[in-house]
Amino acid sequence: MSASAAELSSPLIEAYRTHPARAAHDELLTTEGVREHGVMLASAIDSLGLAGLLAARAEVGNQAAADGASFGEAADRQPWLIDPLPLPLSAADWSVLASGLEQRARLLDAVLADLYSTRTLLRRRVLPAAAVLAHRGFARAADGSLGSGRQLLLTGTDLGRGASGEWVALSDPTQCPAGAGLAMATRRIVTKAIAGLHRGSDLARLRGFFLTTTGALLDAAPSQAETPRVVLLSPGAGSPSAFDQGLLATLLGFPLAEADDLVVSAGRVLLRAGDALEPIDVILRRVGDAVADPLESRGDSEVGVPGLVEAVRRGTVKVANPVGTAVLDNPALIAALPGVCQALLGEELLLASPLTWWCGEPTQADHVLAKLTELVIKPLSPSAGGPIYGWLLDATQRAELAAAIKAEPWAWCGQEAVELSTAPVVTPSGLEPRRLVLRAFGVATPDGYRFLPGGLGRVAPSTTELSVSSTNGALAKDVWVPATAQTVASDTARPRLQLARETALPPRVAHTLMNLGRLGERAESTARLVKVADDFTEDFGAHPGSAGAAAVSALLRGVAGITGTERKLNESNLAYLTRVTLDAEEPGGVHHSVRRLIVEAQEVRDLLSVDCWSVFNRLEQTLTGGVPQSSTLQQLLADVLESLLAFSGIMAQSMVRDSSWAFLDAGGRLERAAHTVKLLRFTLLAQNGDRIEPSAELAAEAVLRAGESIITHRRRAAAGTGPATGTESVRQLLVHDHANPRSVAFQLGELANDLRMAGDDRIAAQVEAIIAELDANAGAPAHRSAEQLASLATALAALGERIAARHFTRQARRRTAEPAWAVAR
Amino acid sequence: MTVPPRRYRVRHVTSYTYDEELEACYNRGLLRPRDTEHQLVLSSQVQVSPQPELLTEHQDYFGNHSVYLELRTPTTQLVVAAESVVEVSWPPPDLDGLNRWTVAEAVAFGAATDPLDLADFGLPSPMVCIDATVGEYAATVLRPDARLGEALVALNAAIGADFSYAKGVTSVRTTLAELLELRQGVCQDFAQLAIGCLRAVGLPARYVSGYLETTPPPGREKLRGADATHAWVSVLTPLGWVDLDPTNGQFVDSAYIVTAWGRDFSDVSPLRGVVFTEAANSSLSVEVDVEPIPVP
Repeated sequence: MSASAAELSSPLIEAYRTHPARAAHDELLTTEGVREHGVMLASAIDSLGLAGLLAARAEVGNQAAADGASFGEAADRQPWLIDPLPLPLSAADWSVLASGLEQRARLLDAVLADLYSTRTLLRRRVLPAAAVLAHRGFARAADGSLGSGRQLLLTGTDLGRGASGEWVALSDPTQCPAGAGLAMATRRIVTKAIAGLHRGSDLARLRGFFLTTTGALLDAAPSQAETPRVVLLSPGAGSPSAFDQGLLATLLGFPLAEADDLVVSAGRVLLRAGDALEPIDVILRRVGDAVADPLESRGDSEVGVPGLVEAVRRGTVKVANPVGTAVLDNPALIAALPGVCQALLGEELLLASPLTWWCGEPTQADHVLAKLTELVIKPLSPSAGGPIYGWLLDATQRAELAAAIKAEPWAWCGQEAVELSTAPVVTPSGLEPRRLVLRAFGVATPDGYRFLPGGLGRVAPSTTELSVSSTNGALAKDVWVPATAQTVASDTARPRLQLARETALPPRVAHTLMNLGRLGERAESTARLVKVADDFTEDFGAHPGSAGAAAVSALLRGVAGITGTERKLNESNLAYLTRVTLDAEEPGGVHHSVRRLIVEAQEVRDLLSVDCWSVFNRLEQTLTGGVPQSSTLQQLLADVLESLLAFSGIMAQSMVRDSSWAFLDAGGRLERAAHTVKLLRFTLLAQNGDRIEPSAELAAEAVLRAGESIITHRRRAAAGTGPATGTESVRQLLVHDHANPRSVAFQLGELANDLRMAGDDRIAAQVEAIIAELDANAGAPAHRSAEQLASLATALAALGERIAARHFTRQARRRTAEPAWAVAR
Repeated sequence: MTVPPRRYRVRHVTSYTYDEELEACYNRGLLRPRDTEHQLVLSSQVQVSPQPELLTEHQDYFGNHSVYLELRTPTTQLVVAAESVVEVSWPPPDLDGLNRWTVAEAVAFGAATDPLDLADFGLPSPMVCIDATVGEYAATVLRPDARLGEALVALNAAIGADFSYAKGVTSVRTTLAELLELRQGVCQDFAQLAIGCLRAVGLPARYVSGYLETTPPPGREKLRGADATHAWVSVLTPLGWVDLDPTNGQFVDSAYIVTAWGRDFSDVSPLRGVVFTEAANSSLSVEVDVEPIPVP
């Protein structure tokens, strides 16, 4: 059904209607007009106009950047691209699709169980044996390792809609389906950008699916576990879908873990939690089949866990999805699926796929070779390469492909090309039709499979691009399904109570948090020092030989000493300070520390408040943008400090006071103490004797300002409760004063508390011993301060090393051991 | 045809020594001989020192005994000792029977057998990559119209004549194409080459790992630990699986003890592991004794 053509008042939609790139099936329009379920969207397009749509487009871009939503390898990470227009599906459309997906999930689960046990499908030739056994994803090491019951806990299916308007399954990326987190991020971002539209629609919410998944994973735990422990095993923050993994972990309420956090002991997977080893019951796996267990798959994977498959075989841990699932992503399986469905379920296959031919059968190979220019050619194993579009090949390429198919016919499939449907995308020149692919996500519950309503929509990066992939710059679409379309209300899933257990952290996480604390503090204290130095340069730089100039050079010595940044010949003070602030390649500089801070934060994404990412985004923008013509370094540093304070505020307000907080805070404390000691050593030590010179007094005041203690000093001086001069006050206030939150003594007191919180009384006691010594030395004469500060610096460095040795020990390097060839004869 | 059984005690000791402690190590070993049509395993055990945290076993995809062992006691030395008593009674192949088939007929016969065997052992595998050079070499010895028995004899003879035995020239990474250039190698290379040739013409073939009883040079005593693991090839014929040893140019007999089989070496490595250690250096020793013992 569609609205009448008369309702197409908008010139935008009229231009879209006549766009030559619009496919036979368009998601918004029929030949007559707007589809019924698209009417609300069409009227929103109408009322927003191009300017409004472009504003929405900019807004989703900004919001994605603020949330840190991204995709791609760490070195080449791109922002997550979103089109502001949602993709509405009709209730009827979704319920047909959901039934097809439900059957497909049951079917693939049964195929998986068969392939890793009796292989009846192959023996009875329902499925050609070579189409499975020659697939790279068939994991012989996993044979017999799967237990009873559902094995395929999660599903991922890529769908397209052909010219007839029917959905077809294109592939089944089920080994570790990625993108559910990104679907949620896309929903949140689009909702903010065009809020009005959402308010007017009764949409199926996404949240319920994640609650259901949490429950399903807890339920999947091997029997006896009372409070099952689940982790999301990640290849690390450098993984292309790291953002998706972090958000998913947060949505599900399970921590991210990496290979170094886990060990297999006595056939169980254990989490290294502080000094303890805690059993893991369920692993949500985002580490690929081929590298998940280096003992079984050979090779020297650093991201896998040796012994994992054996633990699965012993039934001590459930892995979602099990190692070996990659075999299901197989075009030859798609070719045989209708027969397989009859054989295993006794049902007609509901969700069709494009016609597919497996070249391992000679007649099918002949067909594929004859129609090479019309078909999409796919390797049997997706890891062997992506799809090849026959019609895009020149004669030479075609001949090469034909030769490759003839040489290893079983390794190839041909698939009928689908004319994917198009959906409108906002561009500066109006709405453009782009090819659409939908990824659906499912989860196995005791009551059957449940699906994320809609899924992750993605559209091609241009009107001419036929393939849709996040690696080629596809844009995400927020997929809307009416709340009424949900055949099974996933929101009703009981969220099983998960007891929050106080646990120690894996060494990797503790280390990252401590680094995070350190780098946040380093960036902040450096920015503060540079700001004071810049201010003094502004005030006194023009008067060489004055007391002010001497203070300036003391401050610059401090900057150079603390950051390790050499001043270039002929470089002005301002140029130098600007470089220390902005140059991301300058270790010790503000921008460099901020960059490292963001990298560390990505490692523990699941522990951080989402608000952190907009702060990081703003920081990076400020520091990359440089000092605007109309502004000053002072202003820029003020902005940077504001962001850094926002970051520490968010952390302080959002983190539970457990060992996570303890390590984060400890990092900040240790850094601030070390910074303060260095500041005093580099700026004030050039003075000698007890004589107070005007230049020394100015320098001391500058240091008090950099140490945020000038007001305290002045207040006490005025009230007569402290020394009258900054020179006398500085050491007292910045080193010994327990009440000053900027003093070394204060930092050490907090550090001792943090260590006790993390369960380390021994190092806490060592910290307290340092405090006692500080107290004892508080009254020592000024000429001894150099010596005291030096020994304090040594003690702080030693503390850092002791904490690292005690809490951050990684597992030893791993290597493979195998007798070489020549020992046999 | 039955032949008088022979009995062996096989000891296979692998020792790793590291210059620093191992934090943990995980190993998978295919060290316990399997029962076959021609072989009965009377006893077999694997001992590990120091005491492993877990030593367990399952039957793998190919029906081999696959041992998993896990050690988390810090140590600088790991010793894995397998000792088995095996009775072997392996009749000579029925060459006349094989010769009633041509290679092409045998290929056609194989196509109708178990689809799994055909796919597992008929297609290329990780270490048996069949390119044009392998196909050309195979075509010279395994002509379609050749009699099957004679063709197998010819395959053994061709590898014996064209290749010399040399340690240290090849490794697990040497491809068949490289081997055909080098013209020298060890038993694993020759077994995999024979497999490549057989698969290239359409005959399913599997890689067999095991042991071979060796006799000392005349007048010398047999040295302890001087034996070695061995590898050969088993080909699927209309008369069943026939084992041949291209390294020694002969069909397999009761001097051969089967441990495990798979598609190629990568499926049946006797012992492989992942070790967690900061050690810079390690040394490895493998000692094998195949000792004939009287059949009561």
